[in-house]
Amino acid sequence: MTLKPQQAEPLSRSRPAGRVGDKPRRARTGRRPGPVTLAVFIIPALVLFALFVLVPVGFAGYTSFFRWNGLGGLPNDFIGLDNFRTLLADEVFLGDLGRLALVVGLSIVVQLPLAFGLAMLLHQRFPGRAVFRLLFFVPYVLTEAVTAVLFGLIFSPRRGFADALLASVGVDASIGWLSDRSLVMFVIFGILTWKFFGFHMILYLAARQNIPDELYEAARVDGATGPQLFRHITIPLMGPTVRITVFLSVIGTVQLFDLVFVLTHGGPFHASETLAITMYEEGFGRNQIGYASALSIAMFLISLVFALGYQRLVLKRDLQGALTSTEGSKA
Amino acid sequence: MRKPQSRARAVLAAGAAAAVAFTATACGDSGESTADLTWWHIQNEDPMKTTWAEMADEWAAEADLTVEVEPIANEAFKERLATSAQSGTLPDLYQTWGGGVLAEQVEAGLVRDITDDVDCLDKVNPITLEAYTIDDRLYAVPFDQGVVGFWYNMDLFAEAGIDTPPATWDEFLGAVEQLKAAGITPIALGGADQWPTHYYWTYLVMRTLGLDGLEAAAEAGDFSDPGFTEAGQKLADLAALEPFQEGFESATYDQADGQAALMGEGGAAMELMGQWAPQAQRDNSGTDGPGDALSFFPFPAIEGGAGTTTEFLGGGGGFAAGAESPDEVVDFMCFLLEEDNQAQVVKDGNMSTVAADPAAVVPDMNNEQQLVVDAMATATGTQLYLDQAYPPSIGSTVNEASEGLVLGEISPEDFVAMVNEAWAAEK
Repeated sequence: MTLKPQQAEPLSRSRPAGRVGDKPRRARTGRRPGPVTLAVFIIPALVLFALFVLVPVGFAGYTSFFRWNGLGGLPNDFIGLDNFRTLLADEVFLGDLGRLALVVGLSIVVQLPLAFGLAMLLHQRFPGRAVFRLLFFVPYVLTEAVTAVLFGLIFSPRRGFADALLASVGVDASIGWLSDRSLVMFVIFGILTWKFFGFHMILYLAARQNIPDELYEAARVDGATGPQLFRHITIPLMGPTVRITVFLSVIGTVQLFDLVFVLTHGGPFHASETLAITMYEEGFGRNQIGYASALSIAMFLISLVFALGYQRLVLKRDLQGALTSTEGSKA
Repeated sequence: MRKPQSRARAVLAAGAAAAVAFTATACGDSGESTADLTWWHIQNEDPMKTTWAEMADEWAAEADLTVEVEPIANEAFKERLATSAQSGTLPDLYQTWGGGVLAEQVEAGLVRDITDDVDCLDKVNPITLEAYTIDDRLYAVPFDQGVVGFWYNMDLFAEAGIDTPPATWDEFLGAVEQLKAAGITPIALGGADQWPTHYYWTYLVMRTLGLDGLEAAAEAGDFSDPGFTEAGQKLADLAALEPFQEGFESATYDQADGQAALMGEGGAAMELMGQWAPQAQRDNSGTDGPGDALSFFPFPAIEGGAGTTTEFLGGGGGFAAGAESPDEVVDFMCFLLEEDNQAQVVKDGNMSTVAADPAAVVPDMNNEQQLVVDAMATATGTQLYLDQAYPPSIGSTVNEASEGLVLGEISPEDFVAMVNEAWAAEK
């Protein structure tokens, strides 16, 4: 949540740099707002932010040092770092991390390139283009819970649509889409791709449309071929957007819950469990609020370290002006 | 240009926004109600929803009090009750399954002790009070009580050439193989839900160690007795025969492709389930179920085991009262137990009566209710479902390990180690 403001920045940055012939941005006129006005606008938001974000995070941090079932007042059974020690030896937690890595890896290798390719196709002019853009974006509009119920029916072991479809083309194999422990994660990844590729595609499409045609024309005049245009203009200029989608994809995967919870509850036997599901099960299924808090702190740290590290190492280039540096290397 | 009044307007607007925000915070789900008595139950569908509402109205008129009835769906109820408990109050009257969850609430001082105030239990079957009795104090009155056993389809058994239901574990395994040989799915199982699987493990332990053996081990918080491993091995042996329907690993109990629906459609020969099974078979399959072909046999005995087939795994539903409830709540509990009302509940909700003399209270029971009542009449002891009887962390571990064992992910020894670890953490 706290990262949202930074996400928008690189996207919008590419715009003024790209436009040719735009008037220089008008400097803001008028006085700077005084301290009273600032206070009036900031304090309510700050209070709410503190009340609903900072305090709960702090409280989760506090309870993570206790064994506590959540009942009867504040926790009092202080156990230091025991919850975290248990966590690091917990096979389910370690499995969650492995599955997180799997989904992140597959997203970067399969889902995002797919969205990128479709965005390139849909950037071309052809009849019905708007319809396709809309259709590809529709899955993103569905809530995750509805998506899960829908695919629960499709992959149902008895008279599921997926099996029926296979049967209609002569393949009479009943595949345990969700019951096969080695398959279920890939099925879930497929559903995630179906649901989210449209979102990434729209971002790529917007980024592609912001690249001015003049650049391509100029390059063509200089004798550049199609692949060269793609490699030396399209890819570098879409870099900031690609980096942001990777970021969104990773953060979204860390929080993955609704879809998997409704679809498989993390099963069979943890085969599709995610960090958030483990946290939910420990906290609300087993009343181990202290342990669940430790897990939530671990998730918070994973997100935080990744977000900060990624901004430092990867997004920093966007903030320093990737455009100038790539133009330099092109010449 | 900035208009002169704009700063004042900004202040007003921000103030208003803040006021709205804080009001919203203050009015959050505090659970407060103006009624004298709030009642949360999970019979959120007719006819029971109306039946309970009418009883509440009738009693409220007599007692000259107001009762607010909130029917909530099962899973949503559990979550709301957990939130309510964590905020420090429970409703005046609420659904409970007893056991470890109730014990945790009692320990937190959230439940009314009704032992000395309730005087209408002389016609209630004492077995039905066990789940709500903690350290010899009573915390709830029952309205439904039954047992878990094998519900089986007699037509499918006959088709496989099985005339009498199996009485021993070896006969049971034989029946499974016979059914498989006849091309019939022997057992329907909602594997993803875990709790249907934990019935198998619990019963095997009960038959191996006897009810006393299990209770002693739970008391000590130690499942190291070799009997637990033996019982686990028997469940692993059963799973190795592949007796369950295809895709049971991701099937639930009560969805359209789940355990109950499969039984309702006659797609499997048997399921190990409680007194609600016949109703769930009809509801989830949208059919009339196996009808008269449906019958019941107790979990088979194990040769050389300490347990007998008259020891049942069972449970039901009851109502407990929050610690801050008005004293009249006890009268209302007794009102619900009046014989007319009990008979009405059994009829409308297809529930299993808690009366000591079932025939006197409900003379016209249907076939499936009669099967449950007959089984209960033979009962020499009952054990509440382990995922309710034990503290949630241990109950959930038993469920989880049962799934792992049936899937071959863990060994019977791993099972015992997992549960012992959970016991150790709870101490």
